[in-house]
Formats: sequence, structure tokens, C-alpha cells
Amino acid sequence: MAAPIVELEQVEKVYAEALLNAPVLGGIDLVITYGEVVALTGPSGSGKSTLLNILGCLDRPTKGQYRLGGRDVSGLDREEQAWVRLHYVGFIFQSFHLVSDSTALENVALPLYYAGVPRAERERRAAALLQRVGLGDRLEHWPRQLSGGQCQRVAIARSLACRPKLLLADEPTGALDSRTAKDVMSLLGELHQESGITIILVTHDPQVAAFAHRQITMLDGLIVADEEGKSAHAAAR
Amino acid sequence: MRLPGSEVLYPALQVVVRNTGRSLLTVLGLAIGVGAFIAMVSFGQGARTSVVSQFERIGTNLLRVRISGRVDPKPHRPLTDGDLQALTRESTTLVDIVPLRRKNDDVVFGGVSYRVYIAGVTRGYAVLHDQHVVSGGMFDELDLSQRAKVCVLGQTPAHALFGDRDPIGATITIGGTLPCRVLGLVAAKGMSISGDDLDDFVLMPVTTFAAYLGNPTDGYALIEMRPQSPALLQAARGEIVDILRRRHQLDARDPDDFEVISPDEATRVAAQTAAILTGLLAGIAAVSLLVGGIGIMNILLVSVAERTYEIGIRAAVGASPWQILTQFLAEALVLAIIGSGAGAALGVGAALAVEHQMGWDSGTSVPVVVFSVLFGIVIGLVFGYIPARRAAMLDPIQALRRE
Repeated sequence: MAAPIVELEQVEKVYAEALLNAPVLGGIDLVITYGEVVALTGPSGSGKSTLLNILGCLDRPTKGQYRLGGRDVSGLDREEQAWVRLHYVGFIFQSFHLVSDSTALENVALPLYYAGVPRAERERRAAALLQRVGLGDRLEHWPRQLSGGQCQRVAIARSLACRPKLLLADEPTGALDSRTAKDVMSLLGELHQESGITIILVTHDPQVAAFAHRQITMLDGLIVADEEGKSAHAAAR
Repeated sequence: MRLPGSEVLYPALQVVVRNTGRSLLTVLGLAIGVGAFIAMVSFGQGARTSVVSQFERIGTNLLRVRISGRVDPKPHRPLTDGDLQALTRESTTLVDIVPLRRKNDDVVFGGVSYRVYIAGVTRGYAVLHDQHVVSGGMFDELDLSQRAKVCVLGQTPAHALFGDRDPIGATITIGGTLPCRVLGLVAAKGMSISGDDLDDFVLMPVTTFAAYLGNPTDGYALIEMRPQSPALLQAARGEIVDILRRRHQLDARDPDDFEVISPDEATRVAAQTAAILTGLLAGIAAVSLLVGGIGIMNILLVSVAERTYEIGIRAAVGASPWQILTQFLAEALVLAIIGSGAGAALGVGAALAVEHQMGWDSGTSVPVVVFSVLFGIVIGLVFGYIPARRAAMLDPIQALRRE
């Protein structure tokens, strides 16, 4: 059996400012192994995004332990969290989150900049990544000059810039039409097959969820179902 | 991860350039602050130099002794040749000790008459009063001992009597009876700060004056001298008082029957006044620098608020709080450098223009410019820190919602 990349033990999240201190996450136990593609589904407010933020070290659990790649990251300070995000995690968001006054190339090179990669090297690597996602001819375009699908490809290229082990996608196709959504998902599928990167997706879309090996359903801050998939992509393996 | 300086400054410069309008607004306050600081301090220095130099024209470090004007029960003794000899012999701090007899009287040449201040002095007088003979020469020791009928003219009587003609060698009549040959002409000094014409005088040997123009039994009107160095001024005063009290046989209870006056005090008071003025102006200008700094802070705070979303993206992809802090500090630094540089140009320009108008010596100095530029940069960084810290402390999740 493959080694675990994500191990959660009784992870809770309570927002101090929330009324009645109702927990957003109420004791999550979860193990995800290297190379898995996992879909997190559930209604709005079920805690999917909060869980994803904790997995990506954007947020910290109130209680419980989170080990990423075998290392306890539950108690990291903000500097250390940033280091983990930079080197271990790639994020893809529903609304792309590109820096609007930077070109496609600059957006993809951004994580490399913070990792201290010299300018020429990061431009070379960013260009190669954009080439890989099919935007080799859009390097100097601004985000406003790109379509939604193209923006999400730039975001995907950026998420892979520092060769992360874990790719976290929050509704990656939520802002795209169905054809573009399909293209983006098949790109993610290809990338997974090429590198074996672990992917965790938050989605409402059953078609996107079906893409995963494993579907985890959440309700009211708890995992209520965890099914090994019968996904098209998993079957193709 | 600490990035090298160029990797922080270059993107900062890019942000500043890409947001030209906002950057100009930010820089404006600081530029005006730095410019005002340089200009104000320069004006102050220029005014001070000008005031001091006006006083210096009268003669710096000049000590004068005269008979006290106060009415005392005991009659005041005149200042005699004996007093002069005693001061020369006994003092250790005094130099250029010069006796002076004086009166206002008519000088006549070629039918033109002119009333003028006539001073009988010795050669040291020209040294004490910083007077330079521009044509001809000064009378010498021989003229003094022989009571030679010679004189030296200031510019004003020379013009009055001779117009554009050369007065050297001409013989003028002083006080109606005394023919005097003009030996030399003293360089122009212009107006004193109190409005006196510093060129309106005729100098002659004090011995000649005593023999022909005054009553030889009268004492000297003044004895003038100076301390060896400005630092010895107080010691020199003390010596004069000691020597003259002894000479005048005054008891311990008796007040001085003479007065020691030094224009140098007035010079120092004027310089002090000007220094206070400089300080005041610099203080006002420092406030404007501070306001410039607050301007930078406000615009950067607005900038952080506007760019919250972008900061969230940067944080999400892995920028550490430290890196975000340094990025905003770098922007503040770039803005502060541009603002201070522009302010320096502005301030030096304004100072030069005003000094030119007022005819002051330039008070703009390299240390003032360097200091105010550095001060401007420090102000920019100090006030840039608050917004930069706010940016660094942003919660990336919250920030990303501010799309």
C-alpha cells in the first residue's frame, strides 16, 4: 500500500467569531495516499472549503493533528505555513485568482519568484509550463485578454510551478462552461498521469466528482460518506 | 526565503511605474516636504551669513574704550597717552591698540566744501576696521612722528571733492586752515546694518590731528584694539578694565570712569538671532516633512486596501509574510527615494532663486541636502512600515474573498 501524504486525526475547526461557536469542522479523520485523486462533495456550508484550506496550510485546525507528507503541520506559524504552501501545495480556484496586472508568464513565475529562483530560470520554467498547458503562444497576454478556460490553464500552470506533491482545486470548473470544463478536467487528468501528483478537488458537479478515484461526501462539518470510485479516469489507469 | 535586494527592488519599481498616477500623488507630499526643508534651512543660513557679514564690515572683535558718559561725583580722567602706553606694555591679550581723536569738520578742495568725520589715528586702525587702501598708500610711522600734514580719504568725501578725478597727491584744506596732502583712497564698504555710510571719513595721523585740529591737552576720544583671538575677548576686556582702573587710581568702591564696548557682541546677538530663525524655519519644514511622510502612509494604506486581493493571491501561492512586508517596504523606499530626489531638486532650485533675488550668499550646502534627502527616505520607510505590516498580516483566505 502506498504511503499516506495527508493524515488528519480528529481535526476540528471553530471560528471564534461564529455564533454559538458551532464547529465548521467537527472531528475529521482522513488518510489520503500519494497519487490519489479525491473529490470532496457536499452542500454549501458543509465545510469542504474549510477542510481544503486546512489541507493547503492556508488555515490551521483549532484542534487535532494534521500531518502532511509525514510531518506535523498543525502548529506552524505563518512563515512556515507559507513555506509549505510554496514547496508542497498547489492551489487552483474557481475564479482563477490571477494577478491582473501581471502577464500569464509573470503569474506562472510568481511562486518561483518567492522560492528564490533566478529570473532567467523562472521565466524558462514558466514558459515551459504554459507550453505544457497549451498556452505557449499566450506568454505575454494579460489575464483580461484570456478566456476563462485559458485563465484556468494559467492557474494550473502556476500551481505546478514549484513541483508540488499535492494539488488542491476548489471548484476548478465552477466558472466555466461545460465544454471548457471538460477540457480543463482532461488536462488535470493528463497531468496526474504524467506526474502521479495527488489531487484533491472540491466540487458540486457530479461529472467532476466522477473523475476522482474516491469521493468523500461532507455534511455539517463531518464526513458522511467515503467511497472508492468507479470513475472513468480511475478506470483508465 | 530572503530574496536578494535587486529581486525586491526591481518589482517594486515596476509597481511604482505601472501606477504612475498614484505614485505621483504619493511622492508629491514628500517632495514638497524635502524641498521645503532644504529651501527653509538654506534661506536661514543665507540670511545669517548676510547679517554676520554686514556686522563684519564694521570690524569684528573690535574693543573700544571711551570715557564713561555717566555723571559721577569724581571727575572722569581722560584717556591719555599714558593709558595707551600702559595698555600696550602691560596687556598680554591685546593687539593693534590704536588711539583715536575725532571731529566733524569741513574739508575743502577747489572751492568745493564737504563736512566729514575726521579721525586722527595710527596705522593699526586700518587693520582693526578691515580697511584696504586701493590707490596711493597709508601714512607711515615717519608721518606719525613728524606730524606730517597728510590724509587718507574714504570713498564718499573723495567723490564729493574730486568727482571722478584722482585725488592722490592733491592738497585739501581741513578745518579751514590745515592743508593736507591726500596719500591714499580706501576701498568702498557700503552701508552698515544700521544705515551708516561706512565710506564717509577722512583719516590722518593722530599726532597731526592733535597738533592742528584739536586741543592737545584733551584725552583721546577712543582707544581701539582687538584681542589676539576671538576666544580671548572676555580675557581682553578684563585686562583693559584692570589696567585702566589702576592707571586712573580708582578705589575698589569707585565705578569705572570709562566704558569698554565691543560691536562683536552685537554681531554675536545677530548671528544668534539668525540661528534661531534657521531653527524655526527648519522646525516648520520638519513638520512639512512629517506631513509628507503621513501622505506616503495614507496612499500606501489605500494601496494595500486596493490590493488586498492581489496580496491574498501572493500569499496563497506561497509568499511569506516577511516577503510581502519587504515588497511593500521596497515600494515605500522607491517612492521615498524618488520623492526625496525630486524634493532636493525643488528645494535647491527655490533656495537659489530666492537667494539670487535677495542678493544673499548661498546658504545651500551639501550636508543640508544630503541630510534632508536621507531624512526624507527614513520618513518614507518609517511611514511605509505601517501599511507594509498591515499587508503582511492579512489573512490570505479573507483577502482572496476581496476579489
